Formats: sequence, structure tokens, C-alpha cells
Amino acid sequence: MQTVAWLIPVLPLLGAAFLGLLGRRLAKGAVTAVALTAVAGSLVLAGLAFWAVLGAPGRRLEFTYLDWMAAGTLRVPFGLVFDPLSATMAMVVAGIGALIHLYSVGYMEEEPGYARYFCYLNLFVFFMLTLVLGSSLPVLFVGWEGVGLCSYLLIGYSYDTEPAAAAGLKAFLYNRMGDLGMTMGMLALFVAFGTFTIGPILARAGQLAPETGFGILTFATLMMFAGATGKSAQIPLYLWLPDAMAGPTPVSALIHAATMVTAGIYLICRLAPLYRLAPIALTTVAWVGAATALFAALIGLFQRDIKKVLAYSTVSQLGYMFLGLGSAGFAAGFFHLFTHAWFKALLFLGAGSVIRGLHHQQDLFQMGGLKAKMPVTFWTMVVATLCIMGFPGTAGFFSKDEILYLAFQKSPFLYAAGLLGAACTAFYMWRLMALAFWGEPRDPHAFEHARESPATMTVPLVCLALGALLAGLPGLPRIWGGHFAIEGWLEPALAFGQVRAGILPAEPGGAALAWGLMAVATAVALGSGYLGWRAYRRGPGPELAFAARRPGLYRAVAGKFYVDEAVEKVILAPVRWIGNLLWKGFDVILIDGLGVNFPGALTRAGGDLAILVQTGRVRNYALAMAAGAVFLLWIFLR
Amino acid sequence: MTTAGSILQGGLPGYILVAMLLLLIGLATVLCRRSVLVQFMGVELMLNAANVALVAFARFRGGDVQGTVFYLFIIAVAACEAAVGLALVVGLYRHRQSTDTDRADALKQ
Amino acid sequence: MFLTFALITLAGAVALVFQRNLVVAGLCLVLSFAGVAGLFLLLGNPVAAALQVIVYSGAIVVLLLFVIMLLNEHREEPALRPRPLQRWLSVLVTVAMGAGAVRLVFHSALLRGLDRGGPPVPMALDRLGVALFRDHLVAFEAAGLLLLAAMVGAVSLVKRDL
Repeated sequence: MQTVAWLIPVLPLLGAAFLGLLGRRLAKGAVTAVALTAVAGSLVLAGLAFWAVLGAPGRRLEFTYLDWMAAGTLRVPFGLVFDPLSATMAMVVAGIGALIHLYSVGYMEEEPGYARYFCYLNLFVFFMLTLVLGSSLPVLFVGWEGVGLCSYLLIGYSYDTEPAAAAGLKAFLYNRMGDLGMTMGMLALFVAFGTFTIGPILARAGQLAPETGFGILTFATLMMFAGATGKSAQIPLYLWLPDAMAGPTPVSALIHAATMVTAGIYLICRLAPLYRLAPIALTTVAWVGAATALFAALIGLFQRDIKKVLAYSTVSQLGYMFLGLGSAGFAAGFFHLFTHAWFKALLFLGAGSVIRGLHHQQDLFQMGGLKAKMPVTFWTMVVATLCIMGFPGTAGFFSKDEILYLAFQKSPFLYAAGLLGAACTAFYMWRLMALAFWGEPRDPHAFEHARESPATMTVPLVCLALGALLAGLPGLPRIWGGHFAIEGWLEPALAFGQVRAGILPAEPGGAALAWGLMAVATAVALGSGYLGWRAYRRGPGPELAFAARRPGLYRAVAGKFYVDEAVEKVILAPVRWIGNLLWKGFDVILIDGLGVNFPGALTRAGGDLAILVQTGRVRNYALAMAAGAVFLLWIFLR
Repeated sequence: MTTAGSILQGGLPGYILVAMLLLLIGLATVLCRRSVLVQFMGVELMLNAANVALVAFARFRGGDVQGTVFYLFIIAVAACEAAVGLALVVGLYRHRQSTDTDRADALKQ
Repeated sequence: MFLTFALITLAGAVALVFQRNLVVAGLCLVLSFAGVAGLFLLLGNPVAAALQVIVYSGAIVVLLLFVIMLLNEHREEPALRPRPLQRWLSVLVTVAMGAGAVRLVFHSALLRGLDRGGPPVPMALDRLGVALFRDHLVAFEAAGLLLLAAMVGAVSLVKRDL
């Protein structure tokens, strides 16, 4: 296994390199072949690795390939670690990545820069796998930064259009702000443990007791979470994700739903033993997650762009994952990541199908009646919607429920926020479905030309739908007869190095509480979902009426609570002003004027002064010589 | 005897003093007059000053013949210089209709 | 005698400085040369005195006067712009040098050391000839070459079209 494990991330890298250098000269078919083969190869190898992990001692395999940095006591190896957590995540990344590569073949058919797209996509898979499989924090960070880069490249795919270019930059900058936290966290961990390699860090952490108050572990974990906030679009660094919808829809599906944005959650799961030792950090994670979940869900209620609805939905669902992690339900949070990857990717790809079918129409208010025209898309999206709202029996149901259950244990307020968010989620999802697929078509011309998408697009949709339905099985809770298998599966990774008893969360609650909460959540979800469908199945009329009745409130919610505007006014404008000042005042006047031009002018003035000696008249020169002679004679003959 | 007495009586310091004063007057001529021909005359005065000093030293160091030989060469050089220099003056005059050196300042910056 | 010739020389020179008429200036130059010839005689060097008169006042000054006549400009032109700075600085420099010269003559020990005194030994032409043709032949020939070159140069410089 060791000899081929490194190919898992490297195969897509090779694909990207090949396509980057030669892609422009290749035929489209060749490009497709290279890209798909690379990802498929990765997937196959990831499957083999998964199999290997099943049989490995302690369910953990670590392969070190070469020393990256060696200086004094610092040793950072290039290595890959395979344990239940990373192997599962790798399968998700490679699997959904492969499906989206396939989908993109159809979606990006008519776009220029076809090879560039697949080059970046392959590159992204490489970085994401590096992030997931890295055995030490710097390697993980390479992947971390790399996915940010690829996000920028792919969002700004149509780099010659202003929205895409601006959005790409915004995404990258917000990511970078988070990266500062990530770096601080990494360094703090080095200070605490003397190494960057994850295995030894967690092993040494196992010897420690949980911190009371604010110690170095709390600091490190909080900083890491700050980094996660940037990557996973939580408050306050979520602002880039909705703008990122300017990129192609498959990109939104892969990067901004299933994989890159989940890197934050993955990071916290990876370092779960550390978070268990820092209760303050955990609580912060939970509250930020809950706030984000609710806040984003509210914004999603009145968005007109189909992708924006899904974007805010993603932010909200990520909030749920953090809520789960923060309630010490690491397995639950990861489980939600797992299920969410399936149905959110499915939702985005379905939306892409709709957009493409209507010839790049993204405004929900202009859609309608597609139920008959695009059946496959419709039914797969129904499956996904049922998942996300938490319809009983679907994957999303189990994962969301587990999170709410644990949240309640931590604080009823967290639970309330989560419940309210779930209500909004169901409402806006069925609003989306109703506006798109029910009612009379509001743009007859586009509707005329609408057709179901080609097989390269519908096949992934169906695969994802099946996955979404089945993904719930690993997390079947005990009260339903399962044994929340996923927790047991992930335990070796999540509790790595734990030697002190009592750290692991005891079996919480009781069956009655579990059933009760489940019932409440289900009722709320079903109710608000039905309300949403009913309100909108004939078109956006009710919303427009509401907007007329309460324009201020409507504008606030539809306007994303003006956060972007506030950031612009409070942070960006002053920074720009300072920059302007430094430019015009400092740079131009002081540095250019005083530092550069002034010595030049001075020299020129000196020259102009000196040149007066050159009169051209022999008499004057003779006088000068005579004067010099006097001077010398005076010196020598004193 | 004192230096002043020696001067008045035609001793070496006297001749040297004459030579030096002649030199200075020649220099003043070059510096203060604008006509190139007058400046040339000043140059000749300076040369003669050197000649006086040279011959005086020759006499006061035992009649050394080398002094006179050198004097001869100085004359030869002065003659050459006069010839070529005056030719240049003629050329200058042809170009500018003037022998005023202050007007010949085309090389000024 | 010394004083006389010295004053003649210096008077001629001083007159030259202040003379406006070029021809008269040339004549003052001749006067100065005559004084120098007299000084040479006093130094017991009749050869030098003769050469002085023949070459300097007889050839060089004549050439100079020829040129003055040729150019037909007997007066110095009026100045384009008065330049007092040049004049004052020249005076300053000259006076400074003069002061230095006087101090040198009166106080230099080196000068006193160089003086060997004694009666003048008259210079004989044959002594000069022997020295010239025996000890300094190369220099003599070189001087001849120099004169040739100067002649050729002067002639070619004055040609109207080469």
C-alpha cells in the first residue's frame, strides 16, 4: 500500500500539470479523458486504501515519504495518514469529485477554456486530498492554501467578467484572513507540543487534562477555528461564499458544498482530542455554528437567484456541522458533513441542470413549471430537498437530528436556534422547488426551449440521489435499531491517543428525550416545508405581496441584512482611504518628491551652478590656473 | 651684504626678482587684456622672464654653458610657438572678424 | 647699471599692460627685450644678448607686427560686457604672487645657497658651439625638426583652402 498510496493525491496533480501545459492544444475528448482518468484512478486507489484501513492494526496507517523540513529539533515529513476519518473523507472527495468531473463534461461543453477548467479541477482534487491525507500540519496547510487558490481560480473562471473576477478575489482574501488564524494555531501547537506531526501531537495530548480557563491549547484551537471560519464560511468570514456563485455551477457543487468548505470541519475532527481538552473553544465553536446556521437560513428565505439560495443554505448547513462539533458530537458533525456532501452536491448539480436547460436563467421568479419538462432533474432534486429538510428516513434526517439532540444537551438555546434554522431551511427549500418546478412558466420563451440535460449530467444526479438516500445508514441511531455505527467507525481517529478515561462523552440523555426531540423537529420541518410549497406553488405572488406590505423588513432580509455594505463602509472604505492617503501623500510627495526627485533636482542645480565656471573664455581659464598655482605655491613654499 | 644691497648691486637675488616681476606682469597681461595679440605679447614676456632667471643662474654658478644651451632651445621653441600661434590668430580673425578672446566663447556651456 | 636695465625691462613690460594701441604695445615689447639683452650683457653672456636681439626683437616681434598690420586692427575692441570680477581677481592673484616672490627672494635660504658668486665668466661662442654639437646634439636636431614642423604647420594653417 505504501508504494501506491502517494498516487492518490499525485494522480490528479499529474493530470493538472499535463492539462495545464498541453491542454490548449488537445482535442476536447483528450482533455476529458485525461481529467477523468486521473480522478478515477485516485478514487480506485482511495478505495483500496479504505480497504487497507479496515484491516490495519488500530485502524491506522501512516506512510512517510520524505523529509520536507529538518532543522534542529524541527522535523516535518511529507507523509500520508490513513485512518477511518481520512479514508472516509478521501472517498468522499474522490467520489463526488469524480461525479462532478463527469457532470462538467456536459455542463462545460460550450465554454471556452475547457482544458483550463479541468486543469484547475484536477488541481483542486490534488490539494484537497493533500489536505485530507496529510500526516503533519504543514502538509495539511499546503492543501489548505491550495484549495483556496483553486477556489479563486475556478470562481474567477470567466476572469474577463467583472463579477467573477471580483468574487474570486473576495474568496481568496477572506480565506487568507482565516489562514492567519490557522497559522497562529499551528505555531501555538508547535510551542505546546514541539512538533507539527499530527500523530505525536494527539498522542501527547492524550496525557493532558482538560484546560480550565484560557491556556495555550484553548488559544491554539480557537485560532484553528478562526481559520476554519474563513474556509468554511462561518460568521464573520462567510461573505465570500454567496459571491462565489459567480463561478460555474459544478464548481459550486464540488468546492462550495461538498469539499473545500468542509475542510474546516475536517480540521476540527482531525484535532478532536485537542478540542476535547479546550472546553472554551468547543463552546465558541458551537455558538458560532448555531448563530451562522440561523442567520444564513434567514437570509436564504428571500433570495431570488437559485444558486444564492443554495449558497446560504450551505453556509447554514456548515453552521449545523460546527454546532454538532461544538456539542462534543464530533462524529455527528462529521456525519452531517458526509450526508450534506451528497445532497448539497446533488442540489447544486440539479440547479445547474435547470440553469442550463433554461439557457442560463438563474432568477427563480422567472422559472416555473419545469416538473414535466425535466423529470430526472426534478425527482432527484426532490430527494435532495427531502434530505436537507430532514424528512424521516432520509440521510439528512439522521444527521441533523443527532446534532440537534446533542445541542440540546449543551444548551436549550442552541437547540432553539438550530430548530428555527431547520424551519427556515425547509421553508426556503420548498420555496425553491415550488418556484422552479410548479406553477405556470413565467418566461414562456425560455420554457419553450427547456429540455432535460444530457446523460453525462443526469447520471451523476441519479448517483448522488442514491447516495443521498443510502448515506444515512452508517448513522442509524440506536433508538431506531441501529447503533450509530459511524461513531464507532470514526472512534480510532477521533479519540486517538486518549488514555484518560472520562474524556470521552458518556452516552447522553435517554430514549424518551431522543424521541421527543425527533418528533418536534420533524413536525416543524414538515410543517414549514408544506407552508413554503403551498405559498409558492403558483408563483412568487405571496412574496411580492409581503414585500409591499413590509418593504423595510423585506429589503433587509433580501438584502442579506446589509452585512456586505457594512463591511464596505466600516472596514473597506477606511482602508481604501488610508491607502489613498499613503499613495498620494506619502508615496508621491515624500518618497517620489523628496526621496527621488529632490536629490535629482539638487544634483541638477549643483550642476547648473558648477557649469557657470565654463565660460568658454580663455582668460577665465588662465585665471583659474594662476589661482591654483598660487594656492599650491603657498602650500609648498610656506 | 644684505639681500637688499645685493639686489641693488646686481647680485643673484636682483636678477631673480626682476625675472619674477617680469613673469607677473606677463601673467597680468594675459589675464587682463582681451586682444589675443596682446595676450601673446604677455606670453613672450613670461618666456623672457624664464630666460633671465636661467641665464642668471648660469652666471652665478660658475659660467655654466648648459644655461645658455637651454636658453637657445627656449628661443627655438618660442619661435615655433610664435609662428603657429600667429597662424591660428589669423585663422581666428578670418572666422570671426575679431581678435577679441572674450568673443571666442563657443565652447561655453 | 643693473638697476637701469632692470627698470627699462620692467617699464617696458608695465607699459605693455596698459597700452591700447597694438603697435605701440609691440614697440614696448621691443623695449623690454632690449632691457633683457642688456641684463644678459651684464651677466657676461654676449651670445645670449645677441641672440635675444636677433631672434626675439628681430624676428618674433617683427612677425607679430606683421600680423598686426595684416589684421589691420590697431586698437583693442570695446568689451562686450565689462567684467570687473575677472580684473579684480587677476590683480589679486598677481599681487599675491608678487608678495610671495618678494618673500622668496628676501628670505629663501635655498636661493642664498645656490649663489656661488665670483666674477662673471664671459660666454664664448665656441664653447657654446661645442656644447651644442657635442653634448646636446640630439636635442639640437630635435629642435630643428620642431622648427620644420612649426613652419609647415603655420603655412598650412593660414591657407585659404587646403
